[in-house]
Amino acid sequence: MKDISKSVRKVDSLIKMSGEAKYVSDIKIDGMLYAKTVRSSKSKAIIKKITLPVIPEGYHIIDHTDIPGKNFVKIIFEDMPVFAEKTVSYYGEPIMLVIGEDKNIITDIISNIEIEYEEVTPLFENTNSAINYHFTKGDSNKAFKNAKKIIKDDYDTGYQEQLYIEPQGMIGYIEGEKVTLIGSIQCPYYVKNAVISILEAEEDQVRVKQAVVGGAFGGKEEFPSLMACQLAVALRKIKKPIKLIYEREEDMEVTTKRHPAWIHMEAAINDKNEIDGLTAKVAIDGGAYIGLSGVVLSRALIASTGAYTIDNIEVGGDVFLTNTVPNGAFRGFGAPQMLFAVEMFIQHIALELELDPLELRLKYLAKQGDATSTRGKFRDPIIMNDMINKGMEMSDYKNKVKKYTEQGIYKGIGMSWFLHGCGFTGSGEANHIKALVKLQKDIDDKVTILIAAVDMGQGVQTTMKKIVAQILDIPLDQVIYNKPDTDLVPDSGPTVASRTIMVVGGLVARATKQLKEKWVDGEAIIVSERYKQPEYIKWDEDNFIGDAYPAYSWGVNIVEVEVSPITYQVSLVGIWSVYDVGKAIDERIIMGQADGGILQGVGYGYLEVMKNVNGKIQHKNVTDYIIPTTGDTAPMETFLMDNPYPLGPYGAKGAGELTLVGGAPAVALAIENAINKKVKSIPVTPEYIMELMKNG
Amino acid sequence: MAKIKFTLNNKVVEIEESPTARLLDILRDKYDFVGVKEGCGEGECGACAVLINDKIVNSCIVPLGTVEGKSIVTIEGFSKTKRHEVLRESFEEEGAVQCGFCTPGMLIASESLLNTNPHPTDEEIKIGLSGNLCRCTGYNMIIKAVKSASKKGDGLW
Amino acid sequence: MKNLIPKTYAEALEMLNNDNLRILAGGTDLMIQNRSWSNMLPDFKTGTILIFNLEELKYMVQEEHFLHIGSGMTLEDIKDNELTPKLLVDALKIMASPAIRNMATIGGNIGNASPAGDSLPVLYVLNALVVLESVEAMRDVPIHDFIIGPGKKTIKQNEIIKEIKIPTNNLTIVKFDKIGGRKADAISKISFAGAAHVKNNIIQDFRVAFGAVGPTVVRKYDLESHLVGLTLDDVSLNIKEILSEYGKYIRPIDDQRSNKEYRKEVALNLLESFILSL
Repeated sequence: MKDISKSVRKVDSLIKMSGEAKYVSDIKIDGMLYAKTVRSSKSKAIIKKITLPVIPEGYHIIDHTDIPGKNFVKIIFEDMPVFAEKTVSYYGEPIMLVIGEDKNIITDIISNIEIEYEEVTPLFENTNSAINYHFTKGDSNKAFKNAKKIIKDDYDTGYQEQLYIEPQGMIGYIEGEKVTLIGSIQCPYYVKNAVISILEAEEDQVRVKQAVVGGAFGGKEEFPSLMACQLAVALRKIKKPIKLIYEREEDMEVTTKRHPAWIHMEAAINDKNEIDGLTAKVAIDGGAYIGLSGVVLSRALIASTGAYTIDNIEVGGDVFLTNTVPNGAFRGFGAPQMLFAVEMFIQHIALELELDPLELRLKYLAKQGDATSTRGKFRDPIIMNDMINKGMEMSDYKNKVKKYTEQGIYKGIGMSWFLHGCGFTGSGEANHIKALVKLQKDIDDKVTILIAAVDMGQGVQTTMKKIVAQILDIPLDQVIYNKPDTDLVPDSGPTVASRTIMVVGGLVARATKQLKEKWVDGEAIIVSERYKQPEYIKWDEDNFIGDAYPAYSWGVNIVEVEVSPITYQVSLVGIWSVYDVGKAIDERIIMGQADGGILQGVGYGYLEVMKNVNGKIQHKNVTDYIIPTTGDTAPMETFLMDNPYPLGPYGAKGAGELTLVGGAPAVALAIENAINKKVKSIPVTPEYIMELMKNG
Repeated sequence: MAKIKFTLNNKVVEIEESPTARLLDILRDKYDFVGVKEGCGEGECGACAVLINDKIVNSCIVPLGTVEGKSIVTIEGFSKTKRHEVLRESFEEEGAVQCGFCTPGMLIASESLLNTNPHPTDEEIKIGLSGNLCRCTGYNMIIKAVKSASKKGDGLW
Repeated sequence: MKNLIPKTYAEALEMLNNDNLRILAGGTDLMIQNRSWSNMLPDFKTGTILIFNLEELKYMVQEEHFLHIGSGMTLEDIKDNELTPKLLVDALKIMASPAIRNMATIGGNIGNASPAGDSLPVLYVLNALVVLESVEAMRDVPIHDFIIGPGKKTIKQNEIIKEIKIPTNNLTIVKFDKIGGRKADAISKISFAGAAHVKNNIIQDFRVAFGAVGPTVVRKYDLESHLVGLTLDDVSLNIKEILSEYGKYIRPIDDQRSNKEYRKEVALNLLESFILSL
């Protein structure tokens, strides 16, 4: 049997290259109206009065008074309203939609809407904690009490914008009582459940379909539910097809971003110069509403020892609410912030103790059987030693790091080690998602994969088909995967958290084996599989004790840079990566994830600046928010290890996020190596480098 | 309003519209060439790229009035050519397509580059594609694909 | 609202004389500045005149004392023209992106008068003259008199930028630096143009200009004249003083792209590096 990793042509490339692929903004429906959002111009205020102009016939205002259900976007908490009612809590918060046929008239109506606010002093500081988590492992108190030395450092990370090239969009229509929403989305069932809630509708009155998705990176995880709820409310009232597409600036100002974070680390050093204890205190800025911030925080906290095993730790953190745009899901989901802090801190500990950083890091590198940060267990083989050696060999790391440490060279090389927990944190899969997948074989022996997993460029259509075709030993084109439509596919869960191949793909593989056993030529057969948590996985959600994830993917990133002593600009020279994703279902697809992920992670580390001033995003277009271009990228070499995970399909684990999370510390360490100054903040901009070189 | 006459994907067309209309809107809305994408609306991302007289432009900031008498090729027109076939083979083989939203623009940029420089170096490819943002691929697979197309399509450009 | 497309240059001058019209060339700045919701017309507030297709404005001619560049020349065409001075080629190569350079015109870049317009420091250093024409008259204005503030210039309502005149020179050393947020497709945080002529170790001609460090391009003729006649060794010895003199006139601001400390420091670093490379 052929090796599943051997690459095939992606099944959706051709229609994307001919321009035929239909993204949501390309869809036209007869009689379609356009919607535009009226937004708060204040960061925090009470809405005193809204004066509307005369609304011409055929034009509509939709606001909170039109909502049949309870006014919130269903995700975890009942906190974020679909339309603001009496108060607004951030600049850009949606208040109403103006809907009609002619965009000129809509624009004219909007410019004549008067909203009278009573301003309230907005909060931009981290003082209003909405969520606080705390956990321990071992006895860190004792470690700190007995410490010979305590090393402390503070790290901070900025916003990151997903900047999918296709802005957010949704289109909807209504047939009788049934609303259908077609969107650029990652999670069809998140959208469906939110719409059911806002409409107080029946299950069969809401249908959600995925359009071709032009990039997402977490940005289309929870945010589209807000747009869908607004549109659904409008559809029920107006009963005509409506299209809501964001302009780029609108998208960048009001959609979710990666949480800025502030991380305080302390290490207790004993008299043998060992790290006896570690504490981490984390603050993330949730923005105006909690959304997914608690889950983001927990992933950050669980990553507090990175790829290392430290016996005594105490970890805590808060989600702070501020009057700024709500932050949310972004590839890595809290881990990139924490891994940056961990990787810098261990380097800084070594410098402080005058130890060889590589030796110190190797000493604490996690091994199979070690206890995780939450007192769970690394059950599967950890092959990081081989991976580190491979990475160092590929990049000539050891020679370079030594050479570049000399003054006046302005070249640097940095290496990050990291892991990423695959799938939902804790008991999410078992208790909340309970994924269900189906396979349907028709009388012509074609097999349709029925899952809610979305292809947003990462290749789900191709990899899922490969899994089924390989197990059944049939040609790829005998397997059908259509973009998810909640009327046709069961809820296999959202397309997030590096769970799609490992969890959904695992279920698809099991279902396929079932189908293989039951296979009779020419007969229609349906099989299904539902997620069952392995018995040995135990998780105490309240106390953060146990196995936070069923499996971990591992990685090594090495980045080489040059820093100009004249302009302080950073040039990427080379990037090397080694990954353990269990087993690649398609090697070229994983390589694509690797290249794209690391550039997004490295960009986060040195290039991508986004700030808000008094609650207003300052970098709100593609000109001011700098993502890498072809001119900024560097040659990349990636090596994939085979380390099959027993419960993943063909041994596959998560891969999508892993390729991003180590990028920032690798580039930051490289810059540190080049300028011989401690880097404690990302992005490491030329402005910051100048400050470090002059004063730091 | 003015009558503007031009060639669109090898067909002569005439339209009566405001000369300041964005070419992008005309292509997508009046001619239904929706393969031309809007990514940023300010000429920065390249998703809306089309060829005017064989050279790449960002149609989101091209005033319609400037295309009088010119020849415009969108991805829909370009995809029917032998050059596109060579490029798409290479893009597929190298894995240069992920979400696909930047892809039509990338192909137009590649064509524009190869038109003036049939055998570009890596550095020249980077410059040629520098106005086309991609958030999925990290660019290297795209750069390799253009390089490989320039070899395979030797003589085509 | 009138949006006019003249067939000839003469017709364009007539139209400008008759109506209050915004001149629209390649549109790469104005279409962005005035954009509306997608699939709506840009909101220009006044009528426009579209001059991009006027062949009469697309020329480059070298005459005895001047290189003449028609205002309708695109940046890409100028970049590829063998008459173009190296300093200007160096700047055009790293400006914006190919798609922008194919539409953006030199006349537009000057007319836009952005403090971050990358061709401007080069044109300052080359002592470029802006040739303005109306139905009544034609006049030459030195570029530093033409641009008087961000977006502000001394052009009359009925005038058009006909061409740019670059005096012939014997500058042998030229340098252009653009410091953007990324390697391509970026708006400058700082740009620097330097040009000099050195003979027998003595500076014969010295010119530098900085973009994006003030409301208009900074070029200090008096400071330059102090350096002419000095030996390279003199200049190296006095580098701190020269930098501090220039420092008085480099007064950048904080904005979303950078901060004033960085802009000033790097502007002076670029100057120092240019001087020491002579």
